[in-house]
Amino acid sequence: MVLLKNLQPPTEGVRHEQAETTAVMDGQRLGCGTLYVAETRLLWFDGSGLGFSLEYPTIGLHAISRDVSAYPQEHLYVMVNGKLSDENEAEMAEKAADDEDEDGSDDGEDDDEGTITEIRFVPSDKASLESMFSAMCECQALHPDPEDDDSDNDFEGEEYDVEEAAAEHGHSDIPSFYTCDEGLSALTQEGQATLERLEGMLAQSVAQQYHMAGVRTEETKADFEDGMEVDAAAMEAGQFEDADVEH
Amino acid sequence: MESEGAESSVPAPVEVFSSIRERTIAENSMVVLLQGLQGEVTTVDLRNESTARGRVISVDAFMNIRLADVLYRDRRDQLTRLQDLFVTGRNVRYVHIPDHVDIMKTIQNQLSKIHRVRNFASEGGGRKEFPKKTK
Repeated sequence: MVLLKNLQPPTEGVRHEQAETTAVMDGQRLGCGTLYVAETRLLWFDGSGLGFSLEYPTIGLHAISRDVSAYPQEHLYVMVNGKLSDENEAEMAEKAADDEDEDGSDDGEDDDEGTITEIRFVPSDKASLESMFSAMCECQALHPDPEDDDSDNDFEGEEYDVEEAAAEHGHSDIPSFYTCDEGLSALTQEGQATLERLEGMLAQSVAQQYHMAGVRTEETKADFEDGMEVDAAAMEAGQFEDADVEH
Repeated sequence: MESEGAESSVPAPVEVFSSIRERTIAENSMVVLLQGLQGEVTTVDLRNESTARGRVISVDAFMNIRLADVLYRDRRDQLTRLQDLFVTGRNVRYVHIPDHVDIMKTIQNQLSKIHRVRNFASEGGGRKEFPKKTK
């Protein structure tokens, strides 16, 4: 057992505190104390300040066990990568504070061997197991694996720009915004045709302002509708190619 | 067996899109497939040679997996039932995809969920290339 003297309860970031909790490490009952599920680490110690703490990156899994045939009491099961007890028993004569660091740094080697430490936290209040479990889940999520090569750190803290990415990957179906220069090349054939038609309508409506005597409308939309009926063959030759331009 | 804890013993699948960073990580890796397994019963092989079989409650971008109603088999083939289990991504070796799961469809569904979340946030401010046609 790791002896941590003068251990103070954490004052910040305690997601869950559970008193009257017995800790059992690799089958050895350590006594009854208080479990603190804090954002920085998991702490357990009895009233006299003796206890241990666990760093979340060292915790492989945790679970609620209600199967009394497997273990006589309902408890929170925590599997820690690496060994806590063996090293510390050998070093109890030396500074106990150093053990914390060693527990964390031995992860790599011990993982390969599969050495684990099994800890069971048995609260007197069985109904609190869900809260203890959830609090640990939350805190665990705060400590993602720094060795994970898959996580793409390029986007950390920055908004992933959908528009930029879409322009890069040419996903024209994702609603996105293009500047005039970029956009033209990203248009599909249909898009090109639509653009030409709209530009044609626009140009035509400007022309209409001069053709329609005495009437000068600002509404381009209205002009579109009128423009379709008036002879616009010269402007819209491409669009109405297959139609009789006759009114 | 209903417990009297704050949560029910059979929680509904949880959407885990809690941050921009997680969304981006998920979108760019196969974790989206695992996130689409919420509600499915599957087996997770752990790095320490043990396995856990249960219903997937949630998978986050770091591949931390939460399972419910778990049958846990340790390295010595000892079976234990666990009500809830949380395994850190680092300790996951394999996640078995159930045979009936359509992998492509699952991935596409998850990606569209991510896009919906992202576009919802920019609704009104999002700009489209062409104005909507009014007919």
